[in-house]
Amino acid sequence: MEYIIQQVLNALSFGAEYALLALGLAIVFSIMGLVNFAHGEIIAVGGYTMVAFASLSIGNPFIVMGGAVLAAMLASLTLERVAFRPVRKADPTTGLLTAFGVSIVLQNLFLLFVSPRPIAVTSLYFLDWPIEIAGIRLASLQVFEALTTIIVIVALMLFLRRTVLGLAVRAASLDFEMVRLTGIRANRVFAMAFLISGLLAGLACIFIMARRGSVDPHLGFEPVLKAFVACVVGGFGSLPGAVLGGFLLGAVEVAMLVMLPQSLGGMTDAFVFMIVAMILIWRPDGILSPAVEKGDKL
Amino acid sequence: MIRLSSSQRSGLVGAALLAVVLVAIGVLVTYFGSRYQIRLVYSAYVNLIVVLGLQVFMGNARITNLSHSAFMGVGAYAAALCVTPEKIKKISLPEAPWGLAEFSLDPVVAALIAIVVTALLALVLGLFIVRLTSTGATIVTLAVLVIVHAIFLYRTDIFKGNQAFFGIPQVFDLTSVIVIAILTVIACRMFRESRWGIQLRASADDEVGAAAMGVQIYRLRLIAWVLGAVILAVAGICYAYFLGTISARPFYFNHVFLTLAMLILGGMRTVTGAVLGTFLISFGLEGVRYLETGPVFLGIDLPEALGLSGIALGAVIVLTMALRPTGIMGNREIEDLFARQKS
Repeated sequence: MEYIIQQVLNALSFGAEYALLALGLAIVFSIMGLVNFAHGEIIAVGGYTMVAFASLSIGNPFIVMGGAVLAAMLASLTLERVAFRPVRKADPTTGLLTAFGVSIVLQNLFLLFVSPRPIAVTSLYFLDWPIEIAGIRLASLQVFEALTTIIVIVALMLFLRRTVLGLAVRAASLDFEMVRLTGIRANRVFAMAFLISGLLAGLACIFIMARRGSVDPHLGFEPVLKAFVACVVGGFGSLPGAVLGGFLLGAVEVAMLVMLPQSLGGMTDAFVFMIVAMILIWRPDGILSPAVEKGDKL
Repeated sequence: MIRLSSSQRSGLVGAALLAVVLVAIGVLVTYFGSRYQIRLVYSAYVNLIVVLGLQVFMGNARITNLSHSAFMGVGAYAAALCVTPEKIKKISLPEAPWGLAEFSLDPVVAALIAIVVTALLALVLGLFIVRLTSTGATIVTLAVLVIVHAIFLYRTDIFKGNQAFFGIPQVFDLTSVIVIAILTVIACRMFRESRWGIQLRASADDEVGAAAMGVQIYRLRLIAWVLGAVILAVAGICYAYFLGTISARPFYFNHVFLTLAMLILGGMRTVTGAVLGTFLISFGLEGVRYLETGPVFLGIDLPEALGLSGIALGAVIVLTMALRPTGIMGNREIEDLFARQKS
């Protein structure tokens, strides 16, 4: 029984991380239809900021974490301004390939100017200690991560439902021209979406760094690939779908880790993706996909 | 005698013009090139076949595919497993299951088996990829790439992972790859101008409209997907049959970036664009690689700059998308360039 509870909690904490990342992708996609492949590099920007703080011998964890989140938000805003504004009105394929190119450029910039090797960051180890409640062993990091995701979801909901800008962001995902006609500046809505996306990437960065303890140019790739899959399963562009997809992916992954024999340990991801493929045969547009108008929407 | 439509006739003319270019480059390098340059041009031709295989699906259905290097790898490994002599396989793959180390076939049969295996795999995966919307399909192809790579790395008893799978007899030389590249160009052009190709391009422009006219979109996408995979398998076979050793690494992200940048720069909608982009990037990248090693240039000792070629590739993709999203060629094939000059 305790074993089952333990694994359920593990699944929830995996799912929380994927949901956090998937939300960051979904909020950008819902507004401009952009599949942001560069999200992983935003996470890496956060990681390298921590390295910079360490080399300046600033050890205060709050400054380190705050700095990483701020850097991620700034990087996200910059990318919107520099790379994604020219392709704002283009079709999804153009945006996707642009983001893909941006991601390659950033990865190689890290490689060129920092180092192709992993750099250790030890300032966040303190976040992780084992705790035991009623015979169930947990890592404090898992608890923090789940709590953060819950707070983020609640805050995002409040923002999207209770503020004018949040309302504009939601409306923009339905009919962007209409939002502009009501006098809201397009640039501000896009900037807001990328700012939120960067914030979520920065938060995810803290947890990824605390667990891995090192940063390399490909830091963000694997988690973001999972987040993409979560988005596709949940329905690309739907925020509840991103959360659902994230938790579903976490559950499937833990189930595979538990059920697969040791000899197939290297194949966990392959099995996870196979199950995801089966879900997509059932619902090709994802589980909670928003209704898409394919007709003549001019 | 089969009667061809006017677009098919101009397609043949275009393919012939491209064939002249391909032969000319081949002749030039055979007579004037060093060994290293011949190798370089050979790999450019292999990449050309990859880009053409990518163009068949991506250019006609306009769904970004990121799994092409995986299919190339499947083709290469399948051919390599069949063609390598038993003696070498006994040494290199002592633990191979299912009697894989017990036989060896002649290169033609091995190539045919590799093509069939790749096509079957593509058919199974394609059954659900073609039903997804554009974004979802792209992510799933990315997942396919990761899974196939994980299998190559995990089953070291069959694929040797990141270590070299050696002992593949060298069957091909530059001439054979040029012949195959020309045949591929013709096949891609004829598919593009065929009834299926036109219907598929129409469905990419207006999915609902095409469906209303009776276009079976899923079926056509699947046909293009499998045809693309067959061409990619051929590319993988060409790679393995020339180099003699393969490993999992060349069939992963770096190669995906490279070939994707080639197709995007030239223009994914046309076969001419695929050819143009491949040669521009293949030769342009050699220059960047030279800078990467930190040479002494105009008296200035440049520092070593690893990652410069990656930045160049990414910049090519971003700039093409921002300035000219349909690539250099746009919707024009090579014969359209000449037609315009005459009028």
